[in-house]
Amino acid sequence: MTDRQPPVLRATGLAKSFGHVQALRHGELTVHAGEVVALVGDNGAGKSTLISCISGTHLPDAGEVRVDDRPMPLGSIKAAMEHGIATVYQGLAMAPDLSVAENLFLSCELRRPGLLGRLGLLDKKAMRERAWELMDSLGITTLQDVTLPVGDLSGGQRQVVAVARAVSRAGRLVIMDEPTAALGARQSQMVIETIRATRDRGLGVVLISHDLPRVLEVADRIVVMRLGRVVADVPARDLKIGQIVALMLGEQNDPREESLPA
Amino acid sequence: MTATQPTLRAPSNRARAGALIRSTPAYIVVALVALVVVFTIISPEGRFLDATNLQAVGRNSAGLVLLAVGLTFVLGAGHIDLSVGATLVLSSVVAGTVAVDIAGPPSASGAFPSAGPAIAVAALAAVVVGGIAGLVNGLLVTKLKVNSFVVTLGTMGVATGTAQVLTNGSNVAGIPPDVQTSFGLNSVAGIPLPLVLAVVVALVAGVVLSQTSAGRHALAIGSSSDGAMRAGVNVQRSTIAVFVISGLMAGIAGFLDITRFGTTAISGHETTMLQALSAVIIGGTSLFGGRASVLGSVLATFIPTMLLAGFVMVGVSSFYQNIAIGAVLIIAVWLDQLRGK
Ligand SMILES: Nc1ncnc2c1ncn2[C@@H]1O[C@H](COP(=O)(O)OP(=O)(O)O)[C@@H](O)[C@H]1O
Ligand SMILES: [Mg+2]
Repeated sequence: MTDRQPPVLRATGLAKSFGHVQALRHGELTVHAGEVVALVGDNGAGKSTLISCISGTHLPDAGEVRVDDRPMPLGSIKAAMEHGIATVYQGLAMAPDLSVAENLFLSCELRRPGLLGRLGLLDKKAMRERAWELMDSLGITTLQDVTLPVGDLSGGQRQVVAVARAVSRAGRLVIMDEPTAALGARQSQMVIETIRATRDRGLGVVLISHDLPRVLEVADRIVVMRLGRVVADVPARDLKIGQIVALMLGEQNDPREESLPA
Repeated sequence: MTATQPTLRAPSNRARAGALIRSTPAYIVVALVALVVVFTIISPEGRFLDATNLQAVGRNSAGLVLLAVGLTFVLGAGHIDLSVGATLVLSSVVAGTVAVDIAGPPSASGAFPSAGPAIAVAALAAVVVGGIAGLVNGLLVTKLKVNSFVVTLGTMGVATGTAQVLTNGSNVAGIPPDVQTSFGLNSVAGIPLPLVLAVVVALVAGVVLSQTSAGRHALAIGSSSDGAMRAGVNVQRSTIAVFVISGLMAGIAGFLDITRFGTTAISGHETTMLQALSAVIIGGTSLFGGRASVLGSVLATFIPTMLLAGFVMVGVSSFYQNIAIGAVLIIAVWLDQLRGK
């Protein structure tokens, strides 16, 4: 979090329209190493569109993304992954017929050592073992079998697998779009712990969540979006929940501020 | 949201489907054994069990095995390839024409001096035509984003028509008969050479599907194209790859056709695609993508060929084979749906 190092991510002037819908008018996002930035906003504010432009699932109409001060090609999931960006998508991104272990390593499969590996043969055993280790290291205890198809897991378990995949792949930045939406209290807390651990490893984290009390618990900075624009970028310690809600709704003086828990 | 349950639910559809796909080959073996037993009992003097009959079944299955292997990849990836039979015919026509051109007219003794090179180039031509046909399918599906059912229905017509234009509708004559004697009608240890070739190709394909990244990616896009893409899978490349594999298999099968008959069989493949597709689905590969078994496809291929051989032997019209295959296909798709998606 020093000013001397360039930020892990600096996205500027991002815009994206879907037909007549201007989903993103002006997206700006800067994340430093070892920093958790919360991206909040009402439904439809453009949060998912903004992070999709950064993760390469959408090609923005305008704007620039720099990782470690180097420009990143836009509209390419592969380029974003190669720049160390890993994403937990809202609605996830799993192949339901493939197992937990296969999904964790999808597109980053481990090969066998030696000639067989060079011929392209997978090291399934190593992937299963690493999957176990990963689940274990994240304190994930609700999964009994990494060879089960992901389609057989509960929504919460799938979400946990998606989080595990992202944090294990990211080299510079993890983006999580509502990672706790399908989770109970205990699993949500586990995701928050995972975010802290990821930050402590020196990675940048972008967290999209409507769970404002939890957001304030973990975030260093709050970025607020409304109607496709970033309307505020404030250190988290300077904000109370009521103020965040007011910014989200575009109300200067939120009448509910007093009654909301701070 | 409510708290999620700390333990897993009882094994549900996909786990059961997984178990079923692993046990499918066993069911097929049982069905094949049953067919052999029934046909042996009702065929005159139990001739169904004769080595020559079983060899014929094997020889007739080789091309179908290859088509089924290719379709296993395509269906596993969530697509369909209706053009495999037509591609087979087009490949065999091009290969036959090439063989005739290179071999030239036979000498007075009836021998073709350059039969060897002619056959080798013909084989290569068949594979290349098949590969190009698959590439075209893959590019149309990925670049134009037209549904593969429609694309391959269209290319099925194009390939059939091209084969007819090239030959004016009559089969290619004057192919050196060495293609039959040296390969198509030959055996090792009693097993027809074409079948040996098909099984070797199927083994390699089975390893590719179940043990390599390429296989994982094909099944991943069949399971969820969006999910696979977001996980970093190159969906376009994987999609094109499965169609190229299917085309290559049809190309090899086209060459096998020539080695079997010594000529092309332009109008002999109207139900070939239906048979291969049925075998793949009976073999446990999902019509909806995400699950596939090369072993199941290969074993199930013998169901239509055994039915045909059996019907012929017991004096039932071979037309009944089509009725039986059509019925079995519908039952197989129905079972596939029961397995859940
Ligand atoms: N693929 C799409 N096609 C059309 N409209 C879209 C698409 N994705 C998002 N939108 C629209 O863009 C706006 C912003 O959506 P989104 O970025 O998902 O908001 P958020 O994640 O903040 O809830 C919404 O009005 C949404 O309906
Ligand atoms: Mg969203």
